Amino acid sequence: MKRILISGLVLLLMAPGLFSQELTGEEIIRKVNDLFNVDTSYGKSKMTITTSSGQKRTFISESWSKDKGEKNLVRYLEPARVKGQAVLMLNNADDIWMFFPRTQRIRKLATHAKKQKMQGSDFSYEDMGSGDAFIEDFTSKRLKDEKMEGNDCYKLELTRKPDSDMSYSRMIMWVIKENFVPIVIDYYDEDDPSYHEKKLTQSDIRVIDGIPTAMKVVMLNKNDNTQTEMELLEVKFNIPLDDKMFTERELKK
Amino acid sequence: MKKGFIFLLFIFISFLSLQAQEGVDIFGYFETQASGAKIQDEFLFLYSNKLRVDLKSSLSSKVTFAANFDYLTYHGKTEWNILDFLSDDVVAEVPPGMEAFYVLPFENRHFLDNAYIKLSFKLFDLTAGKQQISLGTGYVWNPIDVFNIKELFDPTYEQPGHNAIRLDVPLGSTSTFTALFSPEDNWQNSAKLAQLKGRISHFDYALTAIEKVWRFHDYTQIDPETSYFLELPEKRKLLGASTAGELFGLGVWAEYAYNWMEISEDFYELVVGTDYTFNFQTYLMIEYYRNTLGKTDYTQYSLNDWMRSLAMEQKSITRDQVYAFIQHPATDLLNVGVSTIYSLSDKSMALVPTLNYSFSDNVEIFAYLNLNFGSEGKVFSKKMGNGGLVRVRVYF
Repeated sequence: MKRILISGLVLLLMAPGLFSQELTGEEIIRKVNDLFNVDTSYGKSKMTITTSSGQKRTFISESWSKDKGEKNLVRYLEPARVKGQAVLMLNNADDIWMFFPRTQRIRKLATHAKKQKMQGSDFSYEDMGSGDAFIEDFTSKRLKDEKMEGNDCYKLELTRKPDSDMSYSRMIMWVIKENFVPIVIDYYDEDDPSYHEKKLTQSDIRVIDGIPTAMKVVMLNKNDNTQTEMELLEVKFNIPLDDKMFTERELKK
Repeated sequence: MKKGFIFLLFIFISFLSLQAQEGVDIFGYFETQASGAKIQDEFLFLYSNKLRVDLKSSLSSKVTFAANFDYLTYHGKTEWNILDFLSDDVVAEVPPGMEAFYVLPFENRHFLDNAYIKLSFKLFDLTAGKQQISLGTGYVWNPIDVFNIKELFDPTYEQPGHNAIRLDVPLGSTSTFTALFSPEDNWQNSAKLAQLKGRISHFDYALTAIEKVWRFHDYTQIDPETSYFLELPEKRKLLGASTAGELFGLGVWAEYAYNWMEISEDFYELVVGTDYTFNFQTYLMIEYYRNTLGKTDYTQYSLNDWMRSLAMEQKSITRDQVYAFIQHPATDLLNVGVSTIYSLSDKSMALVPTLNYSFSDNVEIFAYLNLNFGSEGKVFSKKMGNGGLVRVRVYF
């Protein structure tokens, strides 16, 4: 009886600590990472680039991913100029192939190609790539919690590891406490950690197949004074996808 | 000309009726182009218009039909005398009375460029008809590709379709065996290809064997039967290997082909290239090319060498060349770049500043200048004429 009482007291004493347990920066970023890396997914998205002169360019693409983002296939549907172009990324985008339908040529790209702008947008292939970049290429430090876009958020500072070749020296991330969606990410220049280069904002968060999903993502490029908006038109998670989907044969279809 | 329009009208009506059927996708582009060159103190223009109409239909999950029709018109200076570009020594090789044969005409034309059906079985794909054959990993030169020769100043431009039957057999998730047969008048003269593609670590590789008749010409003799230059067909057997991957963060590729010739001397071709994208978005590429069919001494370039090169029968007349290309997005819609091609053998150079502008979602403008800096007789001699090209393309 005495033992039970002591156990109960210990539990009571621990309880407040349990419910407001202070997650570390590394623990939070792992949860963010897990959220991004679902087993399989399919998405159809519309990307609108707004140039510094106010002109707009719109792209519609379909994408499939498998094995927590380790395999990715993107195929462009619109505009006609890029229709049929496709990109296959395997091994967390360490292997990239691009298919050009008019010449039926497949080109193997080295990982430096990830630094290139995706169809001239403010997203680089590196920004779009999934995998474990947040964990493997950055160290995370938790800063003082803040409200962002009306949400209670964890605020994290991610600093690039010395051996990483990522294009950003550091990132500041606001993560919604309720669902671990990073609602805002500030990207800082590769060489100057004080220079705020880009800002990513996620909104219209809906639960799709049990996963909180931002249906709209906006990347603001402060350097070029341009903006790219990505809107999810359709999304499915944890669907059956064959490994054959992520081969050269499928890339050429 | 009237026939051409009737044919075009027929094609359009066919396409429109096809579009009315579910599952037929119609797309393509219209391209208008102005090119010019300064030849002997005179600036000459050639204008062209090209309409390409593609259709693609997935008749079922296992059957795909695709085709495209091209219609081209030329205006301005549509006849170019090749002898105007060559050195006096080379022109002196022209047999008396044959000068008129060295005129290159640009004539309006329309043709079915690609038209093929692809059958996808569980274990293999079978593609039959006129189709693109793209071989090798090189950007400007492809030693393994005996079907196409890329334009030096515009290497990514699409290539013509080739009539062939192609079998692709996936071997696991990373390897493919390809067999291709491109028919000629008989089995002996038909092209045959076997290729094994695979992956080792982060490197793709391909081993290729090809047998094909190489149809080049003797540009100093006229065949009385055809009233054109005498054709010299010769069987060519090729064994090649190519790879592409990454080393120390750089993109790298290599391609090698050894050619056994039935009559002339055997030769080999080699390409080695590397590229890199800097964090500030600048892209840099360098490619080295050796062709032992090319000559080391430019005074040995013959009339036949020049003509075969200009007629796209032979990839190069100079032995060793380096291509370098640098490009940077000047704005979010404008890419500017410059490429240079340098002959290590005759020490001549061409400089090609390029510009690519996205005018709207489906309209792009491409332009380049080509400036030659070599002395007369060299592969990039000033006498080849400095000039350029502006191309506006509208996709639909």
